[in-house]
Amino acid sequence: MSEDAARKLVEKYRWQFSGMLAWGVQRVTGLLLLLYLLLHVRTVHKLSEGPAAFDQAMAFFRHPVFKLLEIALLGTVILHALNGVRITLIDLGVGHQRHRQLFWIFALGAGALIFLAGAIPIFLASVLKVGT
Amino acid sequence: MGIRTFRVARSPHNGISRSDRFEVLLEDRMTVLDALFRIQREQDATMSFRCACRVGMCGTCAMYIDRVPRLACQTRVITLRSRVVSVEPLPNLPVLKDLVVSLDPFFEEWKKVRPALHPLDGEAGELARIPADSAYARHAPRKRDCITCGACFSACGIRASNRNYLGPAAINKAFLRLLDPRDGAKRERLRILNDEHQGIWRCHTQFNCTVACPKGIDLTDSIVRLKRAMLRPERLLRG
Repeated sequence: MSEDAARKLVEKYRWQFSGMLAWGVQRVTGLLLLLYLLLHVRTVHKLSEGPAAFDQAMAFFRHPVFKLLEIALLGTVILHALNGVRITLIDLGVGHQRHRQLFWIFALGAGALIFLAGAIPIFLASVLKVGT
Repeated sequence: MGIRTFRVARSPHNGISRSDRFEVLLEDRMTVLDALFRIQREQDATMSFRCACRVGMCGTCAMYIDRVPRLACQTRVITLRSRVVSVEPLPNLPVLKDLVVSLDPFFEEWKKVRPALHPLDGEAGELARIPADSAYARHAPRKRDCITCGACFSACGIRASNRNYLGPAAINKAFLRLLDPRDGAKRERLRILNDEHQGIWRCHTQFNCTVACPKGIDLTDSIVRLKRAMLRPERLLRG
């Protein structure tokens, strides 16, 4: 995609379809969290089969790929939560005339900052093993 | 001004949707409607579309232009950035022929909210006074310009998946009537708006209707205000 095409796409979605984009983001992140929740419940359920079964299940998640997925989970949770706050505010009639700014600055902008604040330490400690 | 390519949707043939391409010589300040007339006059007389006023006040020429519902008479070709301008019939409405859609589903929903004024006192001899600081006086100037073009209805993602949903235009009309101190059918409108399958609670604030409205009406604002007001409906009934 050329730079011009990318700029047009961002402009189009930022100023025309932010609401639709935010709606889609909420659905996609919601489904991802549902998948995580199912996996989480399944793993915790292993406790009922004894410590050995639980340890075996947890060993599976020590793979570095899961550390990266953990960082992705953090991003998904932050995005879903902040966009959820935005939707609640809009439904209460607060700031709905600035819904675009709420999405781009609050949900995405502030979300990115919070994500980086959490993701960098996780990445350094779990993936690069800095300080261990 | 150059030549621009238009891809115009045509009626499905044997159930298969199709479109035709036309090269159009542009003129200064040419609108999409002008281009369609030129195509019809010079290239294909069988192509069907609808228009009436040509000045953006009747809503008849609403079409899906470059994947956004717009009025063809108010859309200048030069403002469209796509290489090939796509012109299709409005989504969420049955196609009659080529670009002509039936607005029956739109007006079925419109009628459900009883859009006409039902006066509290039909025998009143005096003209009703609406205080300048009333909610109706404050909101009506920005909400009453609906030309029932169906653009919001076709842009609405909820209506696309829920054939019972009233749609933004009907809800906006009901919102105005609920604020109107002269109106006497508030209770019935509130019942319809509060319905969990067709009413305001179906709106997921996608804001597509507000983007699409050619008259600049903030339809989502009306829906959001109604949602909040519905928490204390007695206030609406009291006016």
